Amino acid sequence: MIRCQSLSWGAPGQPLTATLNLELESGSLTAIIGANGCGKSSLLKVIAGLQKPLAGRVSLSVPRQSGLSFLPQQQHLDRQFPISLEELIAAGFWGRRLSTQLRAQRLKDALDNWHLSGLERRPLMALSGGELQRALLARLSLTDAPVLLLDEPHAALDELGQQLLWQHLHAWHNEGRTLVVVCHDLAAVRQHIPQTLLIKNRECVYGASVELIQQTSHTKVA
Amino acid sequence: MLAAVHLWQPFNEFVFMRRALLGGLVLACSTAPLGVFLILRRMSLIGDAVAHGILPGAALGFWFAGLSLPALTFGGLGAGLSMAGLAAWITRRTGLREDASLAAIYPISLASGVLILGIAGKRLDLLHLLFGSALAVDGPTLTGMLWVSGFSLIAMTLIYKPLLLDTLDPLFLRTVSRLGPIAHGVFLTLVVLNLVIGFQAIGALMVVGLMMLPAAASRFWSRRLPMLIAISTVIGSLSVWFGLLLSFYYSLPSGPAIVLVAGVGYLLSVVFGPVHGLLRRPPLLTSQ
Repeated sequence: MIRCQSLSWGAPGQPLTATLNLELESGSLTAIIGANGCGKSSLLKVIAGLQKPLAGRVSLSVPRQSGLSFLPQQQHLDRQFPISLEELIAAGFWGRRLSTQLRAQRLKDALDNWHLSGLERRPLMALSGGELQRALLARLSLTDAPVLLLDEPHAALDELGQQLLWQHLHAWHNEGRTLVVVCHDLAAVRQHIPQTLLIKNRECVYGASVELIQQTSHTKVA
Repeated sequence: MLAAVHLWQPFNEFVFMRRALLGGLVLACSTAPLGVFLILRRMSLIGDAVAHGILPGAALGFWFAGLSLPALTFGGLGAGLSMAGLAAWITRRTGLREDASLAAIYPISLASGVLILGIAGKRLDLLHLLFGSALAVDGPTLTGMLWVSGFSLIAMTLIYKPLLLDTLDPLFLRTVSRLGPIAHGVFLTLVVLNLVIGFQAIGALMVVGLMMLPAAASRFWSRRLPMLIAISTVIGSLSVWFGLLLSFYYSLPSGPAIVLVAGVGYLLSVVFGPVHGLLRRPPLLTSQ
């Protein structure tokens, strides 16, 4: 469970919204939507413990270090960094003791699941944006964390990549994991994500995605 | 055959040359991974700020305790860390860009170091402090260099994985581990320690060249991190060897000779390196 109590976030002295009180049940799948600069990614970072809130608190029913995993936006990554795609994905095993055989098997499964087989040795700088995004999602899948926070997971993905993403999001949801997804694709949110937190005009509204997002609203916010 | 004899003869003949060589080689081994990570972390200028910062500290150490290794070392260590910390603090508190903040610290450090040496009576040769002297590597200095290098290599092995992930994707690391800030702190301390222990042999302003030039050159030879570190170690070691020979045969200060050989290695890498070198075609940036 994720509980936000009287939460306020943003730059010092400039909170992005009115205070937020929100409780997300364990096993829920929630989207955060809103225009650019409204504070979606910042809220996700506050929940992940990567950014301090201005006021209030976030409590989780799982320990932060082992129970939570975060998918950052790929522009945070240095594309010139001298490691291979396989090494990037294997970072998902961080802090876990697995036999070499099990690690190899799980790594192979992750590569297959995200259609990355054959690219294992490729350096980051030689990957397309979509391949890198799938690699980050594959790394996330290896963490086995019960709470997953995803910042724009659909970015740079083509149609096939988006299909893979939604398949995996539903699979993780069905496994009972708690997911919070920052997403700009309102049509996809309406179709795939049952609950939504809408940030608009410095106010937060939480409710069913089908009610908050109009059927005709297929325009992307950004 | 004659040339081969010249490559080894000075080291065979003179103890001080052997000491300088051994000290320089272990320093090249321990500074290689530090330089590679400094570049990857976009912190190349930190090395310069620390190297300049060492000077007033070492000068103060000399003023109070004379030509004593611990005084020079701890003075340099304290001042180097303070100067790097001051630049970071100014950036964080005022929003001044980090490069501007570091560039402001260099002249302050250099000027105050030279002034303190002037007040102290010029008994310590300023040129030796700035640019090093192979003669300065006596027994205790060499022992210090061996300890620092050994400690650095062990510590870098221990923090390698968290430092790698903290450099590539700090947000991800912070959600799975608390080791990121620890690895960063240990890494910065190692940078300062290596610069401080190296300044007596290679010079306060030159040791940073031994740290950064081989690391910058290695980037033109490989796309894999362990290879970058290995290549950087080889270039650094060759620079020490040939630099000391140049210094011996042509009576040049050892620090600039070593750094200039490393500079030649860097320029050759820029031209001939297979990864983005000038003579190579640009690599495929995206897969098809």
